[in-house]
Amino acid sequence: MVGVKMAAAAAASIRERQTVALKRMLNFNVPHVKNSTGEPVWKVLIYDRFGQDIISPLLSVKELRDMGITLHLLLHSDRDPIPDVPAVYFVMPTEENIDRMCQDLRNQLYESYYLNFISAISRGKLEDIANAALAASAVTQVAKVFDQYLNFITLEDDMFVLCNQNKELVSYRAINRPDITDTEMETVMDTIVDSLFCFFVTLGAVPIIRCSRGTAAEMVAVKLDKKLRENLRDARNSLFTGDTLGAGQFSFQRPLLVLVDRNIDLATPLHHTWTYQALVHDVLDFHLNRVNLEESSGVENSPAGARPKRKNKKSYDLTPVDKFWQKHKGSPFPEVAESVQQELESYRAQEDEVKRLKSIMGLEGEDEGAISMLSDNTAKLTSAVSSLPELLEKKRLIDLHTNVATAVLEHIKARKLDVYFEYEEKIMSKTTLDKSLLDIISDPDAGTPEDKMRLFLIYYISAQQAPSEADLEQYKKALTDAGCNLNPLQYIKQWKAFAKMASAPTSYGSTTTKPMGLLSRVMNTGSQFVMEGVKNLVLKQQNLPVTRILDNLMEMKSNPETDDYRYFDPKMLRGNDSSVPRNKNPFQEAIVFVVGGGNYIEYQNLVDYIKGKQGKHILYGCSELFNATQFIKQLSQLGQK
Amino acid sequence: MAVDITLLFRASVKTVKTRNKALGVAVGGGVEGSRDELFRRSPRPKGDFSSRAREVISHIGKLRDFLLEHRKDYINAYSHVVSEYGRMTDTERDQIDQDAQTFMRTCSEAIQQLRAQAHKEIHSQQVKEHRSAVLDFIEDYLKRVCKLYSEQRAIRVKRVVDKKRLSKLEPEPNTKPRESMSSEKVSQTLSKDSEEKPVTEEYPEKIPAETQPGLGTWGDGKGEDELSPEEIQMFEQENQRLIGEMNSLFDEVRQIEGKVVEISRLQEIFTEKVLQQEAEIDNIHQLVVGATENIKEGNEDIRERNDETKRFPKSWQQLQCDTKTPVVCTGITNTTVAYCLQQNVKECFHCKL
Repeated sequence: MVGVKMAAAAAASIRERQTVALKRMLNFNVPHVKNSTGEPVWKVLIYDRFGQDIISPLLSVKELRDMGITLHLLLHSDRDPIPDVPAVYFVMPTEENIDRMCQDLRNQLYESYYLNFISAISRGKLEDIANAALAASAVTQVAKVFDQYLNFITLEDDMFVLCNQNKELVSYRAINRPDITDTEMETVMDTIVDSLFCFFVTLGAVPIIRCSRGTAAEMVAVKLDKKLRENLRDARNSLFTGDTLGAGQFSFQRPLLVLVDRNIDLATPLHHTWTYQALVHDVLDFHLNRVNLEESSGVENSPAGARPKRKNKKSYDLTPVDKFWQKHKGSPFPEVAESVQQELESYRAQEDEVKRLKSIMGLEGEDEGAISMLSDNTAKLTSAVSSLPELLEKKRLIDLHTNVATAVLEHIKARKLDVYFEYEEKIMSKTTLDKSLLDIISDPDAGTPEDKMRLFLIYYISAQQAPSEADLEQYKKALTDAGCNLNPLQYIKQWKAFAKMASAPTSYGSTTTKPMGLLSRVMNTGSQFVMEGVKNLVLKQQNLPVTRILDNLMEMKSNPETDDYRYFDPKMLRGNDSSVPRNKNPFQEAIVFVVGGGNYIEYQNLVDYIKGKQGKHILYGCSELFNATQFIKQLSQLGQK
Repeated sequence: MAVDITLLFRASVKTVKTRNKALGVAVGGGVEGSRDELFRRSPRPKGDFSSRAREVISHIGKLRDFLLEHRKDYINAYSHVVSEYGRMTDTERDQIDQDAQTFMRTCSEAIQQLRAQAHKEIHSQQVKEHRSAVLDFIEDYLKRVCKLYSEQRAIRVKRVVDKKRLSKLEPEPNTKPRESMSSEKVSQTLSKDSEEKPVTEEYPEKIPAETQPGLGTWGDGKGEDELSPEEIQMFEQENQRLIGEMNSLFDEVRQIEGKVVEISRLQEIFTEKVLQQEAEIDNIHQLVVGATENIKEGNEDIRERNDETKRFPKSWQQLQCDTKTPVVCTGITNTTVAYCLQQNVKECFHCKL
């Protein structure tokens, strides 16, 4: 019993851990305790862009305020001296940042300084700061210096990304371009390993690492193993000892880290999708949990000849507090549309209730009957008034999701994304196609040139044999006619040739999607989401390649695909090249990390996979998060060389 | 897990110091450095604002401590029954209430003053923002401490009201037979710790008991030896009627009291909301005034343009080149302008409320 409880507690989400770590840092590196009658303490927060990316998905401005932060400023901005206030810095230990901090010390901007470095600072740079502090006679003002080991961005309870600012450095393109030098590769690998190391320090566990051979993932695995091993051996400074781990220790089971390379599956990032979160990421401008919409304000008939109304830019944060989002981010889109309708109706009912009370109150003093009704209604009114803020919040969320879903729906209708989705699913699962590929590509109404390119690339990638030269020429012509750029195809051809040599092409399982006809019900209820002509496709659970690999490794299944994966255990004393896993039991916790980039489709697939399994948890991470547009751009750049 | 490298930092400082000494670099290190530091620190303007802010905070802290210290005694309702130590008379409680109120008022005035002062002084935008945030924090602190006070006061008021309600059962002249009974009742209920329990159920129990008060309990000498049975019966009926009336009055009063308390709570909430909206409504007022001005000016311009075109009719294209705006039909009337104004106002209301 105790064991089960501990295992459940140990799987505290990575988001929680990072938030707790941040809050502690903001509280002058002392654990934060809520005290309702505590004195206010105020401070100023200074961060660089990396710090900003880490903090913004986790803490809202209001939460920063609650922690006593009056101002939050970028490191490299003009900052005025503010006397008598402690400053908390949260920056990466780069040259420019250190220089700027030294400048701050010299200019005596703040009362005291709490320096926190996102990843470990080198001794040399620490001495630079010491030097500047001495020169400015400010040594006593530097109150605390900490290495936070928080160099990763958590987007969901169980999903993290390595970086947002320097995506270019660790992008798929950077890793796979043919002209990369060894030193550049080393730098990229070091960046990735540093972040992964920070991740495991924050998680408080030393994983068992499995990776495929001959890929960038293997390089990462080797380096990570080395780094973890070194840290464990260093008894004095080890970050994984019992006391530093705190309450989150995986005492019975260590987690499994599966390192995969993007190259095992290039079709998924190009795939058109049907679940809410993945759609928002694919179709709208969505990063770090913030979606930016452009909407034209109102559809009123403006008087003839007036200047056209400006388009409003709106941005929304999709946070863990948003219950609707949490519930539906993995649902198929029609379900989301229906749910928004339902929420709207229940909200309206509650609003009417409150309004009704208002009219009843108007009867006050009229007759006996009213007065006796009044006594109940006073209580009702009190409860209505106290529930008003909740109601307003609900309204805000409903508005938000209505807007977002409408924007997504517009895209779906304009580009016929449902058709693409269905077709691609069929291609990927190798069922018979009812429409020829050429038809879709030549159809001028269906989708942007990019959509067509995506479709064709998926077809090309999943085909067992390459299409004949003649066919290929035909497709190429059709694609060029539709306005596509053919560079990505170049790259994919090369990749395919290479992949064939390395291993058998991965299959995507054999399942079908069942179109359920038109969404007549939604239309009948007169909802805003008129999904006329949009198919109501039901997603059948199928495992993407990454999920399959995870399943094999986690459940210790034997499979030719994963049998020769390397095995690393940083805690083991001896060497590291055994392919024979020592641990024979299935794992309870796993972390899947895709080197070269990942996306929400894979994430959703993993979430769905693990939902069925009691007591097991998965975390998904990738070096960068891209949607299909960005990925095609990278492929195109690669294909140009 | 974060790693504290402050010690490492201090060690680096020492290393750098010794290195600089060895290299003979003249830096503010060593003994002179620390003295320099002291010198440099003192003339630095301590910041009038922050010292005053801290003063206000310490005052509020004192109030909080005071309230917490005496809280137990304050709330203790049975001080007349229990020990010597916890006793607090009502006058003392009133004193606490008054003192707390004046204190809170002075604190909030001090905060307002600070706010005004902070706005007047010319400082950078960042400093202004910082100061207003600091003042928000202090206000919030004051609110939290006031909550402490209002909570315990609410409990006290409730108890007082209940007590008063019970002690209002004064004996009346023609219900003297019930005098003993009612006093029994009162003491019973008092000792029963029943603030909430309706006392009405006591009455029915006692009514049968009092129907036999017996002529013997007529303490005051009416001088008559006996009353005729009819008179007795009449008196008894009257008694019962009076009891009934008292009961219903009592019920109603209790209900009304309850409702009044709730209504006052609601009113508090409403006042808060109205105050919040006041600022926003001011904003809207400004915006609308501004919009009216703009529309007026726009109107004028258009009228001028109207006149011009009437005097100097040009071709459409020429107009467009001249003005570089899409050609606006000159037939813009006042109704259109009024419509625009209306829309503006609607928009303002929409987004603010």
